Amino acid sequence: MLKINSVGLTISAVPLLNNISIDCPRGSVTALMGPNGAGKTSLLKVIAGEHKASQGRVEINGQSREDWKQSEIAQFMAVLPQSSTLEFAFTAQEVVALGRTPHATGLVRDAEIISAALIKVDASYLAQRSFVQLSGGEKQRVQLARVLAQIWEYCEYEGQGNSNTDAILLLDEPSAAFDLAHQLMLIDIVQQISARGVTVVMVMHDLNLAAKCADQMVFMNCGESTAVGPVEALLTPKLIKKVFSVDAEVITHPLQGTPMVVV
Amino acid sequence: MKRLNTRLITPQLCAVILLIMLPLVSVLGLMTGPVFISLSDILSIMLGDDGATVGAANGANSQEKLIIEIIRLPRVMLSLIVGALLAACGALLQGLFRNPLADPALIGVSAGASVGASSVIVFGSMLTSGGVMLGLSAISLGAFGGAIIASLIIYRLATGPQGTSVATMLLAGIAISALSGAATNTLSYLADNDMLRRISLWQMGNLQGASWERVGLGALTAGCLAVLIPRETGALNAMLLGESEARHLGVNVEWLKRRLIIYSALGVAISVAIAGVIAFVGLMVPHLIRLLVGPDHRSLLPLSALAGAILLVAADALARVVIAPAELPVGIVTALLGAPFFLWLLVLQRGRS
Repeated sequence: MLKINSVGLTISAVPLLNNISIDCPRGSVTALMGPNGAGKTSLLKVIAGEHKASQGRVEINGQSREDWKQSEIAQFMAVLPQSSTLEFAFTAQEVVALGRTPHATGLVRDAEIISAALIKVDASYLAQRSFVQLSGGEKQRVQLARVLAQIWEYCEYEGQGNSNTDAILLLDEPSAAFDLAHQLMLIDIVQQISARGVTVVMVMHDLNLAAKCADQMVFMNCGESTAVGPVEALLTPKLIKKVFSVDAEVITHPLQGTPMVVV
Repeated sequence: MKRLNTRLITPQLCAVILLIMLPLVSVLGLMTGPVFISLSDILSIMLGDDGATVGAANGANSQEKLIIEIIRLPRVMLSLIVGALLAACGALLQGLFRNPLADPALIGVSAGASVGASSVIVFGSMLTSGGVMLGLSAISLGAFGGAIIASLIIYRLATGPQGTSVATMLLAGIAISALSGAATNTLSYLADNDMLRRISLWQMGNLQGASWERVGLGALTAGCLAVLIPRETGALNAMLLGESEARHLGVNVEWLKRRLIIYSALGVAISVAIAGVIAFVGLMVPHLIRLLVGPDHRSLLPLSALAGAILLVAADALARVVIAPAELPVGIVTALLGAPFFLWLLVLQRGRS
């Protein structure tokens, strides 16, 4: 469970976030959306602990973010950054194995988790390949497998691990490098693990992709949350115009009934 | 058939090869020199403690025994230790900087050591009479002091309220190295012919000064690092992903950086103090091992230490024979041996990818 209470962030006198409040209950999927520079990644970094909130506070599993030790929080919270800068020729398998760094579950169990995580992101055929030689989308899939491996116990079974802690997964533009099939795979994975109780917060640009799996959306602009609410409430031509400065129509998916944005 | 695995050999195979090479190269190091000592004589000197009977039976005379015990054995041991220290510290720094081309010179250790040693050579004729401490001459102490001061300055410059920035450290290292270079050049300019020769020889590596005291000091340092560094390998692997990624994996990044900087500065400073500046080993050996077995620090660090030890002993043995009876400075040999091999590996790697 994740609570963001009136969070503000100012770095070198530049205000990046102002009075953001979002409530992410256990197993919910929250999509952070907005134009470039709206503060989506900054908010994710405050939750991840890379920036300390200048005002307000982030509450994780009932405890203030600052009160958690980094080694404790790594047991149940994983973060997928926008891009990776790994320069060393680890194999894909070894990269995923790094996700098990916070745990002491033993080599045998870790090996099971690593191969299962690679299968989950459709990357088991890359296991022995050198990470630096993979394409952008392949790299991102392997990194996704790494963060899934980090919180694997929570992704695999309902109510695993310490019953007081829920797992949290932060994804920063996870689908940006993915082809169409793997974008849908990502949606599947997010739905699957959130159904098992993992709380997901993700930055996304594709409104329709986010609409498929998000429980709530946050429209951000200039460091403020313009609107927070369920998908149906936010995906309106008026709000889209206000936040993204784009004229759009919202129609209903003919088969699935989910809202679709057409520009 | 296209091979998918990008590794040339497994860490286990690499360890076996290196562990076979280590004693072979060490014995070779004991045999070679101005006086050639045969394998059977070395074995009898090393194994048999009764010098008289051994000498009578196998022809290993007391002179050979003295050469081995006082000159060659400490020298081979010193080469092993310094080679291992330099290579392991190089691997640590490359992991810390997340740059496979980082090298101990980057944190200013070598340049600082040069200033320290040159100052003592030029100004310290009055000090050298002060004698020897822990088997270290005043020059060695100067080198150690210079190395530690330079790395402290660079560390301070790169550390702000946001923590230590390795990018700033790299730039500060380059600046401090340039400054130290200028200071060393000024000292060389002021020096007379004899001092100048000593400065430049010191900068090319100096294993001739091997003594049991130096071996002991090096072994103590290497022993401490061998206990401390393996604890950090998991965190160091996570660091390769990036600092924030490592933090999200539960690593206390600031503490890790501090410890790694201390370990590597200490390791390099001690090796510079006991053996002068020996370039190449710290840069190339970890790179080479990484090309062979991959970047996992759990195998990279011990294998680099082994390979560094082997390389330096071999290079020193070669240095003693190529222009015998004179000796070539070992730093020249390490570069001449390693650089072509390294280039060959690079070409090999390029062909595979």
